[in-house]
Amino acid sequence: MIPTTYYIVLSALLFTIGALGVLIRRNAIIIFMAIELMLNAANLAFVAFTRMYGIIDGQVFVFFVMTVAAAEVAVGLALIVAIFRTKHNIDIDQLNNLKG
Amino acid sequence: MTGMDSLFLIFAVITLISAFLVVTTKNLFHAALWLIMTLFGVAAIYVLLNAFYLAVIQVIVYIGAIAILMIFAIMLTQRVMNPSGRIFNKNWIIAALLGAFMFIGLVIISMQTGASKTTLPQISGQLDTVSELGQALVSPNAYVIPFEVASVLLLAALIGAIFVSRKR
Amino acid sequence: MFGSINTSMILAILPEIMLFILAGFVFVFDLVWDDSQRRNLGWISAGGFSLIIMISLMLGTPGSDSGLVWGGMLRHDWLGFAFKMLFLFGATITALFAMDVEDLGKKGEFYLLLIFSTLGMTLMASSSNLIMLYLSIEATSLPLYILAGFFKDDDKSTEAGFKYFLFGAMASAIMLYGFSLLYGFSGTTDLDAIAGVIKAGGMNPVLLVGTLLMILVGFGFKISAVPFHFWAPDVYEGAPTVVAGFLSTASKAAGFTVLIRVLLTSYAPASDTWMMVLAIISTLTMTLGNTLALAQKNIKRLLAYSSIAHAGYILIGVVAISELGITGSIFYIIVYLITNLAAFGIVSVVGRITGSDEISAYDGLSRRSPWLGLAMLVVFLSLAGMPPFGGFIVKVLVLASAVKAKLFWLAFVGILNSIIGLYYYLIVLKHVYLYRSENEQVEIPVTRPYAIGLIVLTIGIILLGVVISPWFNVSTIAAKVLF
Repeated sequence: MIPTTYYIVLSALLFTIGALGVLIRRNAIIIFMAIELMLNAANLAFVAFTRMYGIIDGQVFVFFVMTVAAAEVAVGLALIVAIFRTKHNIDIDQLNNLKG
Repeated sequence: MTGMDSLFLIFAVITLISAFLVVTTKNLFHAALWLIMTLFGVAAIYVLLNAFYLAVIQVIVYIGAIAILMIFAIMLTQRVMNPSGRIFNKNWIIAALLGAFMFIGLVIISMQTGASKTTLPQISGQLDTVSELGQALVSPNAYVIPFEVASVLLLAALIGAIFVSRKR
Repeated sequence: MFGSINTSMILAILPEIMLFILAGFVFVFDLVWDDSQRRNLGWISAGGFSLIIMISLMLGTPGSDSGLVWGGMLRHDWLGFAFKMLFLFGATITALFAMDVEDLGKKGEFYLLLIFSTLGMTLMASSSNLIMLYLSIEATSLPLYILAGFFKDDDKSTEAGFKYFLFGAMASAIMLYGFSLLYGFSGTTDLDAIAGVIKAGGMNPVLLVGTLLMILVGFGFKISAVPFHFWAPDVYEGAPTVVAGFLSTASKAAGFTVLIRVLLTSYAPASDTWMMVLAIISTLTMTLGNTLALAQKNIKRLLAYSSIAHAGYILIGVVAISELGITGSIFYIIVYLITNLAAFGIVSVVGRITGSDEISAYDGLSRRSPWLGLAMLVVFLSLAGMPPFGGFIVKVLVLASAVKAKLFWLAFVGILNSIIGLYYYLIVLKHVYLYRSENEQVEIPVTRPYAIGLIVLTIGIILLGVVISPWFNVSTIAAKVLF
């Protein structure tokens, strides 16, 4: 039986890869994909902990996180499309109309 | 190593490599495909963790809806498949350092899991998760309020997304 | 397995139910009415919010039977209730201010998103479970991302919405991971139960600090504390001014509510650990906010940095971890909400007429529109902490609680920062009262809903500074819940 620690380390690795993606990449959609990786890492941790404790709470949390992630994707991509319409560019280094 | 252990290893490696490729590929469409592979890997790990219902939902919602939506967005916002040179933004060195710190911190934290409660109950698969999940979601003693709030959230997201992305 | 639903549970979520019904009304009327009548949606929203406040005060106040309801998801107590009424008030004023902004006031979507975001905030105020907390934070934030980017043809607005979304999504993902680790190492998602686990020593310090830091990323983002503040100036500058007002007040207050609740419920047994962290954050926030505000030429950015600084002052009260401290913080949040809403309201109308958000556009405002100039005087003096306005008494309270908790250095930093703050507020007032401009005779028309909103707010600022005891009592009752 795999100890829970391995799953948590896996989720930590996934989370870090996602965080790196958000901090390093320029394209808005890739950044968004990286955020999804981070959310998945948290979900993984939840499910692993649920199996450890045997109560259902963690899985319920994952259920809701997936719902929120879906809503967030809809909103985020709508905003990306809106930006693309005005600037024809979704490179975040170019988003500097607001100074700072 | 038992069969389950080697399965875990295989899927973990698949997930991590795909995740790494999502973040480093130049071509956006390829990144989306690697994302789908990562999500499949995570779904497989859910199965290993006896969360069968969640694994199916992961495939349906994350891959079937979210990843597809991302592909739509990629199609809508790429004029030309332009390999425009740099893919890393201007702050990448600081970001990489920050990421390294974060990773070390998280690994230290994760290592603490072993300390307290490693007595893993032998889940023999008799746990009827779906039924329990369903009851928890509609019982006033449990999670019915978050359930209703999630519906309101989806409605708000729907209205907002349509409004912002509609042509004048 | 299934419990039953009784009246007290329904009364506990009465504001939320009514908000949902209000949303239904706005929905239907938006479909049925045509463009010319749609402005009245603002009256419906504002009236609806006020009605909800009144009905809740009559029927839904937490009494002696307050406590956990709905299976431990929500806690019906005065802390949550007081903040709920505050959010509803903020939403009322925002709806009034937005009614005559073009592209904003005639859109049903604006009012709907406002209602949904307020719904999320009211739930945030009474959350007592990690799942509920996460969901309500997201339910608040998602409509706000859209609202920030509401002017879809405006470069700045779409950029503001997008930046807000990106930073917000990342902060909330980090916070979620912190929640997952917190759940994992304590075995429960209930805030009080987590406190029990920590008290019993079930969590070693590394875990405690680690999860706390991650959760603080999310909360710090919502209250725009340093180092999670960098989104605020850009987003406030680009978003529609009325939305920026709502963001800087109600959303920040909601962030403070959850911060106070989580820190003083779940992490209470470990308060020595996080007190210093929070004190440092408070110091950095105040100082950075005030110093960067000095250099601003755009009034929205100035107000953004000013609100960052105020978040630092509010944190002083939280750091004191005493009843006086939390009372001071809650009272401060109430005064801050009213004052900042008024500030952004004035900026909204002047910005619309003069077409510019630079401070120089305010030259001679006192001659163009004496009442607006007067309102600006009241607002800015209150922000600076001058008596007899509300801003003075709450600053005193917060600094007093720091002194009482023997955090003299923190109080000293607070006083120093208030002096720095005074400078830039007075500069703006100098422009308003002493400088002259060519458009002095051009009037600034003010419509009826806007006037109602501004008058209520201005009277409120003065009232809060002069007639202190009802507000102080409410804050005290709310703070007592935590101790």
